[in-house]
Amino acid sequence: MSELPRWEVFKQDGPGKVHQAVGSVHAGDGQHALFTARSVFARRPAAVSLWVARADQIYALTKQELDAGKGLPQGGSGSFHIFGKKTNRRSMVLGDHLGTLDAGSPQDALDAARLQFGDELLVWWIVPDSALVRSVDSAETVESWFAPAKDKTYKQQSSYGVVGQHASAHKKAARGGDHD
Amino acid sequence: MTETALTRPILTEAVKLALIARFTALADDEMILSHRVAEWTGHAPLLEEDIALANIAQDELGHATLWLGLRAALDGSNADALAYHRDAAEFRNVPLTELPKGDWAVTMVRQYLFDAWEVLWLDAARQSSYVPLAEAATQALREEKFHLQHTALWVERLALGTPESTRRTQDALTQLWPYALGLGEPLPTEADAVAAGLLPDVADVQTRWQRLVRGHLEGVGLSFPTLSPLPYNRQQHTEHLVPLLADFQRVAREFPESRVW
Repeated sequence: MSELPRWEVFKQDGPGKVHQAVGSVHAGDGQHALFTARSVFARRPAAVSLWVARADQIYALTKQELDAGKGLPQGGSGSFHIFGKKTNRRSMVLGDHLGTLDAGSPQDALDAARLQFGDELLVWWIVPDSALVRSVDSAETVESWFAPAKDKTYKQQSSYGVVGQHASAHKKAARGGDHD
Repeated sequence: MTETALTRPILTEAVKLALIARFTALADDEMILSHRVAEWTGHAPLLEEDIALANIAQDELGHATLWLGLRAALDGSNADALAYHRDAAEFRNVPLTELPKGDWAVTMVRQYLFDAWEVLWLDAARQSSYVPLAEAATQALREEKFHLQHTALWVERLALGTPESTRRTQDALTQLWPYALGLGEPLPTEADAVAAGLLPDVADVQTRWQRLVRGHLEGVGLSFPTLSPLPYNRQQHTEHLVPLLADFQRVAREFPESRVW
């Protein structure tokens, strides 16, 4: 199934927070992409909403490409979601949702976004609203898709005592033997 | 949650045994199916589904722990001893859950039929007058609803996909349906507990379940087989359970004194 298209995943961690680009999944369609995205990106920690969009419907430009004069298509008006990557420091997030603009074309949306959100971003993603598939916002969906993650204990790999701990630590714990 | 003597139902010995039998059946279904699902880890047709199936397997194992905890509260049993040191003849899972994982269609159709059953049974169990059961059902139901949506999505796409996926999905349903009906067989001991409002009436759940899965699967062009009775049930297992347990229990039995994992 490697020929399935790639979908970018946008996760919202809580009410009032913006959706952030967190990675991608392969899936046959938008609904399927939402389900796999939930399992891959939202099992833990908690989230409240997921969006997905087919990667080939997203207009993406790096700062270097912009500086080199590369542009976006001039046709196709609509509503566009603007995502931007501000820094390389947070490696887990590829970009934040900065806002939504109505524009006559992806290029117009980019021009307006540069005026509105500044010109120092490292990466721009312009996502047509028509390309987005969203998880349902109902209380029941939030309850079954996202709420269980809040009750789960998230353990770092090291806490399982298999990787990165000297064998003597296990022997000591075993001798301590207070596990009943 | 603390119970006072006033709110705690007085359990007769027979009702207590019925609850223990039902919690054991639930735990064994979850444990055995979890193992079958986990067999896909590293082998699923898509990395994303590999992760999703591992999640489902972990959720089911978590639910098994929940049910064994409810049982332990009644009889002081030890969850690890029950999971790792019973032999096949002592397991009370439905044979549906022990069948080999098969192809992707078998895995998805089985999971769909099981998830649909579990969602409806748990939904009914939320009304139980036995508070620990009502609370556990509410907790497990959330995750099961997500599982059911995910597997329903797959079954639809497989049934309506290519001629090969349609054929495999129909074959899976034809193979699994007689086994799936085992989910709806009442436990021999539970009639009193049902009458007392402690356990759901599986006949009611069975009616709702058949309406749900028949409507959904016939809606995507699948047909249900005519039935011939199976020689298997929660007491009489297929030949597949013994090798599954050999794998599932191997480490615990090889190192019975281990205390740190």
